[in-house]
Amino acid sequence: MANEDSSGANYQESPRTGFLSRYLFNTNHKTIGLNYLWLALFSVFLGMAMSLLMRIHLAWPGVHLPFLSSLGSSPDRFAALTTLHGSLMVFLVLTAAPQAGFGNYFLPLQIGAREMAFPTLNLIALLATGASLLGLTTTFLIPSHPAITLWIVSVAIFCTASLLNALNFSVTTIDLRAPGMTLPRLPLTVWAWFINAILGMLIFSILLAACVCLLSDRLLSTHFFPLLNFIANQPPGVIANAVPIVWQRLFWFFAQAEVYVAMLPCFGLITHLVSTFSRKPVWKERLVVPALCGVGLFGFCVWGQHMFSSGMNPFSPLVFSLLASSLGPPATILLISWFGTLWNARVQLNTAMLFALGFISLFLSGGLSGIFLARHDLAAAAVSDDFVTGHFHLVMGVAATFAILGALFFWFPKLFGRRLNETLGKIHFWLTFAGVYCVFMPMHWLGLIAHSRILSGSSLASVTAAGSAMHSFITVAILLTVFAQGLFLINFLWSLFRGEKVLECNPWRATTLEWSVPSSPADDFGPTDPVVYRGAYEFGVPDVAEDFVPQHIAPEQVVKVKGSSVRRINSGK
Amino acid sequence: MPGTTAFPDEELIVEDIGGGGGGPPPPPGGGDDGDGSSDDRNRRRRWTPSPKRYSTAITIGIVSILMFFMALASAFIVLRRGSDLWVTVHLPRILWANTCVLLASSFTLESARRRLFLADASGFRKFWLVTTALGFLFVAGQLIAWRQLVAQGVYIASNQASSFFYIFTGAHAVHLLGGVGALLFVSFRKFEKTKISLPAAAEITSYYWHFMDGLWIFLLALLYLGK
Repeated sequence: MANEDSSGANYQESPRTGFLSRYLFNTNHKTIGLNYLWLALFSVFLGMAMSLLMRIHLAWPGVHLPFLSSLGSSPDRFAALTTLHGSLMVFLVLTAAPQAGFGNYFLPLQIGAREMAFPTLNLIALLATGASLLGLTTTFLIPSHPAITLWIVSVAIFCTASLLNALNFSVTTIDLRAPGMTLPRLPLTVWAWFINAILGMLIFSILLAACVCLLSDRLLSTHFFPLLNFIANQPPGVIANAVPIVWQRLFWFFAQAEVYVAMLPCFGLITHLVSTFSRKPVWKERLVVPALCGVGLFGFCVWGQHMFSSGMNPFSPLVFSLLASSLGPPATILLISWFGTLWNARVQLNTAMLFALGFISLFLSGGLSGIFLARHDLAAAAVSDDFVTGHFHLVMGVAATFAILGALFFWFPKLFGRRLNETLGKIHFWLTFAGVYCVFMPMHWLGLIAHSRILSGSSLASVTAAGSAMHSFITVAILLTVFAQGLFLINFLWSLFRGEKVLECNPWRATTLEWSVPSSPADDFGPTDPVVYRGAYEFGVPDVAEDFVPQHIAPEQVVKVKGSSVRRINSGK
Repeated sequence: MPGTTAFPDEELIVEDIGGGGGGPPPPPGGGDDGDGSSDDRNRRRRWTPSPKRYSTAITIGIVSILMFFMALASAFIVLRRGSDLWVTVHLPRILWANTCVLLASSFTLESARRRLFLADASGFRKFWLVTTALGFLFVAGQLIAWRQLVAQGVYIASNQASSFFYIFTGAHAVHLLGGVGALLFVSFRKFEKTKISLPAAAEITSYYWHFMDGLWIFLLALLYLGK
């Protein structure tokens, strides 16, 4: 966190007491947002290291890894590794970074508020998130029985933090908008954060309730998720898959919606980036908001699709299939809007835009395999776990990470007053883009051939051989992809201290309010409160000196003539 | 391009920002921001976020809490239906008395707010304290109900029904104690120093308290009908 000193020159604040109160116990929304990003950065590298360990173990089970061997390598240990990789990535990276990280920093700036609605609550949420990260990481180092309890406690703490966060986000968006910032004028990033906060309010309560029950089962020996009871009550054929059904219901009710909690802010970020760097308004902006709402609404209703094999009512798979497939239309609207915006645009292909385009590509290819999984008959018959793993990593994990990286390249000048290096960024993008396709596409294929057991002897052997060759290929690809992230780390750290300084407020010539204040804003909006006069995506406006009009420019301030003297319009300091 | 984003000038939401009032900006939880120079602080002091935010927050918070209990209730319904081994928990009689206490507290709370509206400070204080006392009485009654069950040998781990009974009443009591905290806050806080005004604080406390009341009726009905 000492890294923030690099931008210290831009802060005009008097020195506060000590490091802790300045960086850790500070209720300022920008400090809190940055701290979430630091947490996410730490977690993403930890999670990547874990995935590396898992892949190495899968491809070459005999290899003894120094760190793992000392902890004893048992199947339990591998399962713990998988769980921890998943929970770190999903909770601390995909949920925390796009929503809590960028959201805390930029939501107030974009709606013209000087602070979140409840700053102290915000700080409590941050500290709770930090505590849950600590708890989750500790689980790996202690014996499995207390570790599981600790894991549940950490997840419950994370739920509470997310609930507080979501409360803060929704109230801030509803009540703290600047004069003139009507709902149609909200940037789509804000819409996405807002809808996501509402969704989060609903689903994290469910997970919290599930965690409370599970904890009391473990600590007070209650009977909420009675494994034995359940098996005793099932017809004979179902027992093979028997797992406590109520837990499954509650968990998937949360977890399937959690996918959209991770994706919604990314949709907002990508729409924002695509519009800004295409220099065009968002195509059919008025359809995008209902589409975002649709993703949230349907995402809330599809939990049952994970339970096709759990002995549910025979008609409910049909309902859940239909609901899951009905996620198609809103997703299609989003895609069409992105393509419509890109159509005939003078696209600025910088790194942020590359990551946005990469997101669209990954979302499309990952989403297509989702159609197969939404069909309950196909999902049960044709594919195994590897297919699902490939699907959700492409569409959720990697795509969301691309959105986060795109947003980081876009907002880095505002966060730190410097730019990330474009050349390094582009090399990093292409290596990662190729790498993730090489990792996750073969996983789909592995999932498909895993069910070719009906084949007779000789072909079975060839399938097995192909499978193991593919495992090795995936592992090599993931090694290279992870090492490519070293480039990002170098770029990040170097740019933080030595990157090209950004002196102007609005380096990307963007329209939203955060670009009306200086980079690394010390105090939001200076002495005067902002007033908003127009929508968030006024690009390519005719008869205007520049090709865009920021939201805070009053109609009479807009430079109309296409004269040679182009006046920069910035109201900030 | 024009037309896609240029929305007609719809109603400007001009909120009451920059209005005087409001002390320094300690958020509701108390505790100073502890940052910024005096200049910075002056600037922030002038910007007071909309006071509507408290009632918005309590509304959204109530939905979220409702969702928490709905998750528990749906688990209860699913398990109740699917289990052949369901053992009935006989609800202790004192629960009915507790319910009456809680319902009465809602009435006294409303009476207190009416006194506040009529600028009758002492009457407000009297009814408010009665409400707080009734809140404590309810929690004490719930504890007695637990003691009675324990005396019958029904523990939290005895069977599914008892697990649900304890978790429902326990979770409700924890949330209700939050409401009691809010009641105490309104009784003893000096409102010259806070951002939130006394009527606003009393109003959002009453929302939460009535919600706790209704939630208890729902949980009691669930336990009674599902036994």
